[in-house]
Amino acid sequence: MNRRLALSIALGALLAGRVALAQEDVTIGYQGLPYKSSGESNTGIQVADGVLLHSGVGVEAGYDSNVFYADQNPEGSSLIRVMPFLDLSNATRNGPAAKTLTFDIRGGLLYRHYFSDAQDIQPYNNAYNPNAGISLSLGGGQVGFGIADVFARIEDPPYQGRMGAGVLERNNNQASAEVRWSPGGGRLTATLRFTNMVDVYSAAYSYANAMTNTLMLDASWKWLPKTAVFVNVQQGYVFYFNDQVLLTNPGTGMTMGKSSSYPLFATAGLRGLLTERTSAVLTLGYVNAFYSDGTSTNGFLGSTYADLAFTVRPSQLSRFVIGARHSFLNSVISNFAYNDTVYASYVQQLAGRLALDLSGRYAHLDFQGNFVDPTQVGRVDNFVQVGATLDYFMRNWAYIGVGYSLLDNSSNTANDSYVKHQVFARVGVTY
Amino acid sequence: MVKTNLLIATATILIGGSVFAQAPAAPPPPGAPGGSVDLSVKQRPVLTPAEMTNQAKEYFKGMGDVLKRIQTLQDQAKREKDIIRLNCVTDKLVQARVNVNIAEQSMATMQESIARSDEGEETHEFTRLTIVNQKVTVLGAEAENCIGEDLSFVGATRVDVEVDPNIPQYDPTQPGSPFIDITRPPEASPLN
Repeated sequence: MNRRLALSIALGALLAGRVALAQEDVTIGYQGLPYKSSGESNTGIQVADGVLLHSGVGVEAGYDSNVFYADQNPEGSSLIRVMPFLDLSNATRNGPAAKTLTFDIRGGLLYRHYFSDAQDIQPYNNAYNPNAGISLSLGGGQVGFGIADVFARIEDPPYQGRMGAGVLERNNNQASAEVRWSPGGGRLTATLRFTNMVDVYSAAYSYANAMTNTLMLDASWKWLPKTAVFVNVQQGYVFYFNDQVLLTNPGTGMTMGKSSSYPLFATAGLRGLLTERTSAVLTLGYVNAFYSDGTSTNGFLGSTYADLAFTVRPSQLSRFVIGARHSFLNSVISNFAYNDTVYASYVQQLAGRLALDLSGRYAHLDFQGNFVDPTQVGRVDNFVQVGATLDYFMRNWAYIGVGYSLLDNSSNTANDSYVKHQVFARVGVTY
Repeated sequence: MVKTNLLIATATILIGGSVFAQAPAAPPPPGAPGGSVDLSVKQRPVLTPAEMTNQAKEYFKGMGDVLKRIQTLQDQAKREKDIIRLNCVTDKLVQARVNVNIAEQSMATMQESIARSDEGEETHEFTRLTIVNQKVTVLGAEAENCIGEDLSFVGATRVDVEVDPNIPQYDPTQPGSPFIDITRPPEASPLN
C-alpha cells in the first residue's frame, strides 16, 4: 500500500530509446549507468536520522556509428558521456526509515560530447541533458497518498544532419498525484491517479508542444496474496498548444496538422504471480483515441488494447521477461500510430559483482490520421532496439563495464530508415 | 499447666530438635523417689529469654530470605510467562507470608511474655516460632521445586511462515507507475 511513485528517470539512457514498461521496473534497450550495485549495496551517506544521500558519477566513452540517424552515408564519431547524480531519500542503508512517509528527491545531468572534427557534427558537439524528480508518499493503512514530479530534457543532433536544422530538443515534465484506498484486509484496492504531462520541443517540432492530462481509476481484487484481477479506466485529454490545421490538401481535402484528442482506455485483466517464480500481466480492453480532427482509432483491432507480459525468475539472481502489446500511441508526426510491440529482457547477476542485462524489442508502427508532412502519409516503421550491458563491481561503490546499443528503423518513406550502433566502455562510482 | 508444658516440650524436641542444641538434662530434684522418671523436667529445653529472642531473630532472618527467594522465583516465572509455575510459586508465597505473619504475632506475644516473666507463655510462643520457621523453610523448598511448562506444557501456539525468497517483495498487483516519455520523436519531415 505504501508504494511511492516511481521516479522513472533513465540516467544515461535518455538518448538510447529506452522504454519503460508498466510491469515492475523493466526497461528495454541500453541500460544507463548503474544506480547502485547489483547486490546488497549498503551504500549511501546518512546525512540525518532517516535521511540517506546517494551520489555518484559515471563516465562512458565510446563510438556512435550514425550521429544523425541517416539513411545513407552515416557519419560516426567517438563520444563521451558524463553523468553525475544525487539522490536524497528518507531511508537507511537497511531499508526505508518509515513506513508511513517516504520521499525521494533525485537530480542528475547527462553531458555528452562528440569528438568529431566534421563541420556538420561540431554544432552538436556538446549537449546538456538535466533530469530531476521528487516523490512523496504518505499513508500506510487503508488510505495512502502520493505525489511525484519528474523532469527530463534530451538534446540530440537532428535527423539527416541538415545544416541549420537546429538541435532536436525535448523537454518533458510529468506531475502526478494519486490516492490509494484499500479497505478491510487489503483484498480490494482502488487507485485514483491524475497525471499531467507537458511536452515542449525545439523549433522543428514546436508544433507538437502539448499538454496531456490523464485521470486513471484502477480497482483490483486479490484472490491470492500477490495475484489480482483488475479493471482500469483511463481518460486522457491531449491538448496541443498550437492546435491548428497546418495545411489542407486542396485536391483531397485532407487536413494536415495536430489535433487534440481524448484518449480512452478501458481494460481488465490479471496482474501478479502465477507461480512463485512466474508473474504475469494479462490485459485486454477497449481503446479509442477520440481525435477532434482527422482519423481516429477504429475497427475491431484498432479499438482493442492487449498487453501480455510474463516474468520468470529462474533464480534470485536472474530474471527473464517477455511480452507483447497491441495499442496505439499519440504521434508527433501524425495523429497517432497503431503500435504492435514484442519485447524481451534478461538480467543475470553473478555473485553480486557482475551484472548482465540483455534486452530488445521490435515495434511495428502504423501511422494514421492527419500528418504534419503530406509526403509521409501511410508511413509504416519497423523499429528494432537492442541493448546489452555488462558491469563488474570492483567494490559495491565502484564499477567498470561495457555496453552496446542498436537502433534500427526501417521505414516505407524516404530517408526515414537508419541504423545506429553505439558501443561504450564505462566506469563510475556510486555511493 | 505442667501437662501443657510437657506436650510443648515434647513437640519441640521432636520437631525442632535439630534446629538448636538441646541443653543437658537437669538433675533430678532432691527427694524424688528412686527409679521414677520425670519427663517434664528432663526433656524441656532450657533457654534463657535472651537466647530465645536471639534465636527468634535468626528465624526471622531466615524466613525473610526464604520470602525473597520465592518472590524471585515468582518474578522469573512471570518473565517467562510460565503460568503453571507462576501459580505454583504464588501459592507457596502466599502460604509463606501467612506463616511469617503468624511468626510475627508469636514474636510479639513472646516478648510480652518475657517482659512479664511468664515462662510457660514464652516457651509456647517460641515453640510456635520454631514450627512456623520450619514450615516456611519447607515452603521455600517446595517453591524451588515448582515445575513449569517445559515439562508439563507443550507451549503456546506459534506460527512460523516461510516465504519463498523467489517471491518478489513488491506488490505485483498494483498498477504500474507512470513513466516519463523521453524517447526521441520520429522524423517529422525531411523538409524540417
